[in-house]
Amino acid sequence: MSYSVEDIEKLVEPARVHRKVYTDEEIFDLEMERVWGRTWIFAGHASEVPNGGDYKTFNIGSQSMLMVRNRKNDNISVFYNRCTHKGAKLVGDGKGCAKAFRCPYHAWTFDTEGKLLATPPTKTLETSGFAPDDPEYNLRPAAQVNIYHGFVFVNLDANAEGLHEYFGDSLTSIDNMVERSPEGELEIAGGVLRYRHDCNWKSFVENLNDNMHPMATHQSAIEACQGYAQDLPEGSEVPETVHILGPFGSSYDFFEDMSHVVFKNGHSYSGNKVSIHSAYPPVPDYVDAMETAYGKEKTKEIFSCARHNTVYYPSLTIKGAIQAIRVVRPISVNCTDIETYTFRLKGAPDEMLQRTLLYSRLINSPSSIVGADDLEVYERVQAGLHSHGHDWVSMERQKDHDQPQEDGSIEATGSSELPFRNQYKYWLQLMTNTEAVKIKA
Amino acid sequence: MSQYQRPGLKKIEEFLYHETGLLDRMEIRQWIDLFTDTGDYWMPVTPDQEDPINHISIFYDDRDLMEIRLRHHDNPRSHSKDFTIRSSHVLGNVQIASFDETNGDCQVSCNFQCVMYYRDQQQLYAGTCQYHLRLIDGRYHIQRKRVDLINCDAPHGSIQTYV
Ligand code: FES
Ligand SMILES: [Fe+2]
Repeated sequence: MSYSVEDIEKLVEPARVHRKVYTDEEIFDLEMERVWGRTWIFAGHASEVPNGGDYKTFNIGSQSMLMVRNRKNDNISVFYNRCTHKGAKLVGDGKGCAKAFRCPYHAWTFDTEGKLLATPPTKTLETSGFAPDDPEYNLRPAAQVNIYHGFVFVNLDANAEGLHEYFGDSLTSIDNMVERSPEGELEIAGGVLRYRHDCNWKSFVENLNDNMHPMATHQSAIEACQGYAQDLPEGSEVPETVHILGPFGSSYDFFEDMSHVVFKNGHSYSGNKVSIHSAYPPVPDYVDAMETAYGKEKTKEIFSCARHNTVYYPSLTIKGAIQAIRVVRPISVNCTDIETYTFRLKGAPDEMLQRTLLYSRLINSPSSIVGADDLEVYERVQAGLHSHGHDWVSMERQKDHDQPQEDGSIEATGSSELPFRNQYKYWLQLMTNTEAVKIKA
Repeated sequence: MSQYQRPGLKKIEEFLYHETGLLDRMEIRQWIDLFTDTGDYWMPVTPDQEDPINHISIFYDDRDLMEIRLRHHDNPRSHSKDFTIRSSHVLGNVQIASFDETNGDCQVSCNFQCVMYYRDQQQLYAGTCQYHLRLIDGRYHIQRKRVDLINCDAPHGSIQTYV
């Protein structure tokens, strides 16, 4: 079928959505156009391309993109990764440093600002009947690029609202992560993990603010961890592993207290006042460095903000308190790659990077005992939703208890399914917008 | 006079067959007991990765984490482990890279292919392994097992158990 606006409207109700939003390929294709083609998508971090000519490729759905640090002016550009001659993908996947980008097909060559430099053979160019200095032949830039504290975002729609307006006060989570550096600067470090999820991208995004699943989904990991800790001989030092895994086994009451804050455009975070990251043992050298940089009061204030996951809908989720991010890269309706990156807090001791790496390995690696149980439930959702027995996915919990705030955000208790409802409200708005995306600025 | 004699390749191969056989039969308790108290199991995420501490890895388990992982596997509510895991290792090109005659330690490398089966799906893991073996009371123990998958930096689904 081909979805009309009315058809799409029927898929989303205020507190439940039709299973097809997770399983229908046609919906996925529309999402890539109307959701991913119109919103601010995380490209990468500026520290991944520190020098002129440094580049990396990434995907926005089916669109291969090229992020590059310009050699001339040190700016970061994002281009469609497509040769303007016959359309070959210009750069193979990955990262590197380039003087210029030379297409492997007929050697059209572009500088790092995207300008077409050469179209061999030059000898017959004048009589060839085509004008390579037509700007149409330059690499096509993404309609909008904006950088927030080094986080590079792109928007493929020239008509979309600006980055600050789009993310609003959810940006305070990035602010807090940055402030956790004594020098106020972050740097991607320690490599990337790519974890393939055979599920729809939305199952992953929703789960990050699903406070009611750890007690069930992670019961086994918790019991394993607690059982091991209990059986340690008396007086032994508690391993760091236990400090990190342990809080996943907090009670329903604890996760109830990890309240939600949601913003327009689908963004949200949980752990407003307290979270599973609140009680890690302090690293003394780090605390010293922070207090020297900011003073005692301000340091306390920075540490008191220990939010759980912040969702920058739809592509980025961050954990400021442990300086790790997960990037959502949809591949198909039932396949999504999740990339985990970690940050070095500039001016902080190495232990801080080592802790976030340990966290990411324990929770977000393909070998993780926590991540594997998460993925298991996403995959079961993906399988279960093919059932003809029931069409609707329920998101009703605490639906009558939203607390709208003066600043436009909405708060809710930790067990609320408000973050999901908030995401679908925006999703519906995007998916029923049939206006053509404007790809040129 | 050297205190220790360089072991024959056969003795090392027997140890490796025993070790991977324990994995293939999912006898994880006995497998963990092959490691020294400070031993670890490391699966890097990039080729030639030098550091398990300041760089992310797919696995980097000390004894604590091995024990927690075992308990998780045995827990009836570990839903990602509801089905039997079966694996089959084939090892080749076993070499003793170096031998320390002062304490009997060996650095050993081999190539491997491991087919792992879980819930109707079969995965092929392949690459090289490096072992640091320590001789304790006349028996080999593992100080480090490093597993370099040839597709270490590809996106992976859940890797159900040690390779
Ligand atoms: S397709 Fe790129 S130069 Fe021809
Ligand atoms: Fe989870």
